[in-house]
Amino acid sequence: MEDPLVQIGAQIIPFFLLMLMGFIVGTTIESNHYREIRKREAQTRHLPTISFRRPPPSWQITSTALVHGNTVVSIDYFKRFLAGLRAITGGRITSYESLLDRARREALLRMKASAIENGFDAIVNVRLETARLANSSRNGQGTAGVEIFAFGTAVKLAS
Amino acid sequence: MEWEPSDLPENNVTDVHPLRELGLLLVGIGGATIVLTLVLAFFIDGVVRFLPAEWEARAFSGLWEELDPVSDDRQGASQELLDRLSLHWQENPYQLRLFVIDAPEPNAFALPGGAIGVTRGLLDDVESENELAFVLAHELGHFERRHHLRGLSRSLALGLVFGAATGGSSGTLLTEWVSNVTQLGFAREHELEADRFGLGLVVAEYGHTGGAADFFEKLPETGAGAIHRMAAWLATHPVSPERIAALKRVARQEGWRRHGELTPLYLNAEPR
Repeated sequence: MEDPLVQIGAQIIPFFLLMLMGFIVGTTIESNHYREIRKREAQTRHLPTISFRRPPPSWQITSTALVHGNTVVSIDYFKRFLAGLRAITGGRITSYESLLDRARREALLRMKASAIENGFDAIVNVRLETARLANSSRNGQGTAGVEIFAFGTAVKLAS
Repeated sequence: MEWEPSDLPENNVTDVHPLRELGLLLVGIGGATIVLTLVLAFFIDGVVRFLPAEWEARAFSGLWEELDPVSDDRQGASQELLDRLSLHWQENPYQLRLFVIDAPEPNAFALPGGAIGVTRGLLDDVESENELAFVLAHELGHFERRHHLRGLSRSLALGLVFGAATGGSSGTLLTEWVSNVTQLGFAREHELEADRFGLGLVVAEYGHTGGAADFFEKLPETGAGAIHRMAAWLATHPVSPERIAALKRVARQEGWRRHGELTPLYLNAEPR
């Protein structure tokens, strides 16, 4: 029979390592990502990106295309643990807020980048779709990650 | 139409430090769990005391058979010793039954319904009848205090609280630790109570407490390999020196004779 202290330790130590790693790595990646997002948003802010279904009547459109951007994100151990505790008490799952915020903005940025690259002048009818990726290792019960898909109609205008 | 570019509003993320969030949640949930479990355990303790032993015996009859008892030629003599000890416990409501389990670790346990299991390892290790008598009397102490039932109902209380807290789905690591640690706390207190009662029975039978603590005194001395073997025992049972000291203190308070002639363990002399 194993010493119960050893057993408890064997459970606690990996947990703390995972928490610590999740916190340090997760926080570093997040702050780097936010810095990059803000930089790229400043670079692409000249491109009109609007959610109206139709372009303004004054626009003279010469060509259109579907543009899209996609991100798939997962969550670090620390954030997942925090969210698990929140599932007990209720309230804002703050650890997910920044994650999904980043994912949405990244998807929009990728969509805008693709429009700029192809010489378009604006994007109309922008939509966001979210899909949960089921965790196959937990019989589809858990969430392995979330996909955010941004899409819209890119237009070229007669100059 | 004029186009005025603007930055995205940064209003989607609550400004709270994740570590602060973690601390608040852990303290809140941990505190609530502890309070709830204690309240529940308190009520269950109150009810369990009044559960008639006959109900218990009927509900749990045959439980011991599931532990796979083996036939051992020391079983009869041990049962006889147990019956002799139980004569000193006048209010005994149980039909006591002793069975032997094929395990090398020295251990004994009380099961609901009045069954006491002892391992072969225990029967191999004891050197005098007094020593075995104390182990059995200690288990009788668990019956007298109804610890065996409280253990069950406390696990039930913990199960209920954690089931409610986690939505009955996730057996997270956290819940396991809390239940391990609290069970350990209950168990230690119970062991000391059972010791006190058991020692009283031993004195009633032999007139002195000699030999009673021999079993615990052996535990730390049996060497490094054996310490590992004893781990399961030590976990729920308080560390031996502490426990021996408690036994001595009780003997002194009650004015019991600490030394006397040890009754030989005739059952070990029989061929196996």
